Amino acid sequence: MTTTQQTRTAADAGRAGTAAAISVRGLRRTYGKGADAFEAVRGVDLEVPVGTVTALLGTNGAGKTSTLEVIEGLGRASSGTVEVLGLDPIADRAEVRRRTGVLLQSSGFSGDLTVTETARLWHSTLTTPRPVEEALEMLDLRDRAAVKVSALSGGERRRLDLACTLMGRPELVFLDEPTTGLDPESRREVWRLVRGLRAAGATVIITTHYLDEAEQLADRLEIMHGGLIVRSGTAGEIADGHPSTIAFDRLERALPSLAGGTVDPSSYGQPRTVVETVDLQATLTALLDWARAEGVRIEGLDARTASLESVFLAIADSSTDDRRATAAPQSAPTSAPTSAPKGA
Amino acid sequence: MSTIDLTPASYRPAPSGDFDPSAPDHHPHGSPVRRVLGMARANTVLLMRNRMTFAYAVFLPLVPLALLFASERGAETAGISALANVVMLSAIFPVYYNLLSLTVTRRDELVLKRLRTGESTDREILASMALPGVVVLLAIVLLSVPLAAALGQPLPHNGVVLAVGALLVAAAFAGLAFWTAAWTKNAEAAQLTSMPVILVAIVGSLWAILPERIQPFLEWTPGAALDALVRIGWFGQETDGAAVSFVDSFAAAGQPLVTLAVWAVVAASLAARSMRWEPRG
Repeated sequence: MTTTQQTRTAADAGRAGTAAAISVRGLRRTYGKGADAFEAVRGVDLEVPVGTVTALLGTNGAGKTSTLEVIEGLGRASSGTVEVLGLDPIADRAEVRRRTGVLLQSSGFSGDLTVTETARLWHSTLTTPRPVEEALEMLDLRDRAAVKVSALSGGERRRLDLACTLMGRPELVFLDEPTTGLDPESRREVWRLVRGLRAAGATVIITTHYLDEAEQLADRLEIMHGGLIVRSGTAGEIADGHPSTIAFDRLERALPSLAGGTVDPSSYGQPRTVVETVDLQATLTALLDWARAEGVRIEGLDARTASLESVFLAIADSSTDDRRATAAPQSAPTSAPTSAPKGA
Repeated sequence: MSTIDLTPASYRPAPSGDFDPSAPDHHPHGSPVRRVLGMARANTVLLMRNRMTFAYAVFLPLVPLALLFASERGAETAGISALANVVMLSAIFPVYYNLLSLTVTRRDELVLKRLRTGESTDREILASMALPGVVVLLAIVLLSVPLAAALGQPLPHNGVVLAVGALLVAAAFAGLAFWTAAWTKNAEAAQLTSMPVILVAIVGSLWAILPERIQPFLEWTPGAALDALVRIGWFGQETDGAAVSFVDSFAAAGQPLVTLAVWAVVAASLAARSMRWEPRG
């Protein structure tokens, strides 16, 4: 994890928008020893270009936070190399911290301090801080300035946390589930902030359970599963090549040939029949032509192109998570429904 | 919602105001002192806001002086014991117990984890937590000088010895507080987990009433060392009561100062090995 002259030069060039803000090679991270050893990250390669927004997605336990902690310099890798702004997050800690802002998954504040006191505390630890008032204004917390943190709502506390994260005008921002627990209006406000950061030239890496959020904000998505990055690219690239689906209430008769569409075997005998196809238009046309010719009424018809969500759910359902060598009863990675978008 | 936008222009550091390099600021942003003082300020606010802890921290250590009213005016034995107890209670309450509960509470609130994501180093975070209690200890020792004098006790014979002793005992108990916090489950549990250290702290002051056989061991407790330092540094007496000159008092204070220094080093190393930054879980 040494920093060579070459990478420093790369970092300098990075400010012009060509190099990587984060460069991770072969990152592995193991917790525990011997039979209890658990490899949470199993060889992650990640490149985050300067000035972009990258979303790190995955089910609970996929290894997102473990990966982020190493990049943030809060945890050590078992093996692999990590460069942040061309620097080593542990050896060059002081400089890296000055230029980065971190929002952890859970906020950490003293309940007995007021919003202003908390913000002032953060202000005192920063090298190039925004004024306290400006940081609070940014997250719409001015009216709450004199309120104790313990009396804030979950969303307000999260906004205070974000105000602290952005107070130091970071070039690189880590946001670990920034909108979890926020009301829809606050979520939009956070989105606006993230877009503002990008417009200002900052680099953002964000984890979220909301796929629509990732699609809205990120230039690039990285989907993690079982300690690995299993899919990367734009939302379109990720969905590309994945089958589209047609679903309808079960018909009491045999289906015709559907121009390449095949019935998903798991829907046999179920109330809903699901057809998968790589050519949605052709298959749908074949189905509807057949229905008109035969006078069949298709109830509950639903046709959709492959979406980020369907790809994500397919990945989450796949059981490639074999990180635990021992047969100890370990709760399975949280299944898809809990991590699917919850409204909004 | 907010009216401020994160435009590229707004994103650059402001050229003046906060960042005016000509401003008379001895601790500019980005300096360790600035960070420690900023965090210590918040910790002081927290200490004062918790009225119970604050009362224990500030008033309890002064109780032994009040007890001097009850003894014969200017009685040396009572004076030595009272002043040694003032320092020890300051080490126990504002330094040890306050720091223990502060560390456990802030760890469980994830404040420590959050602070570690920022520019502050681990040492700066720890120093900022210990600072308010150590300042209270030093203030109480200073305040004891006129209070004791008003009650007929002498002025300190060797202030340097006393000051070094007070700083060492503060360092030792700060380290012990971080170490205790490492195996203290939550703030309530601190009432129990603090007992062993508090016992070690007071056992040395009880030397007179404990059996003779264990006396050699007691000499190496922080309580006995403090007792000896108050006797030498404040009253100018050897342990056997013989008068000691100002110059000789430095040599006489050697053994108790070394004792406290050893406690401080051991405590710091225990703290460094065991420090936990996230909730025990």
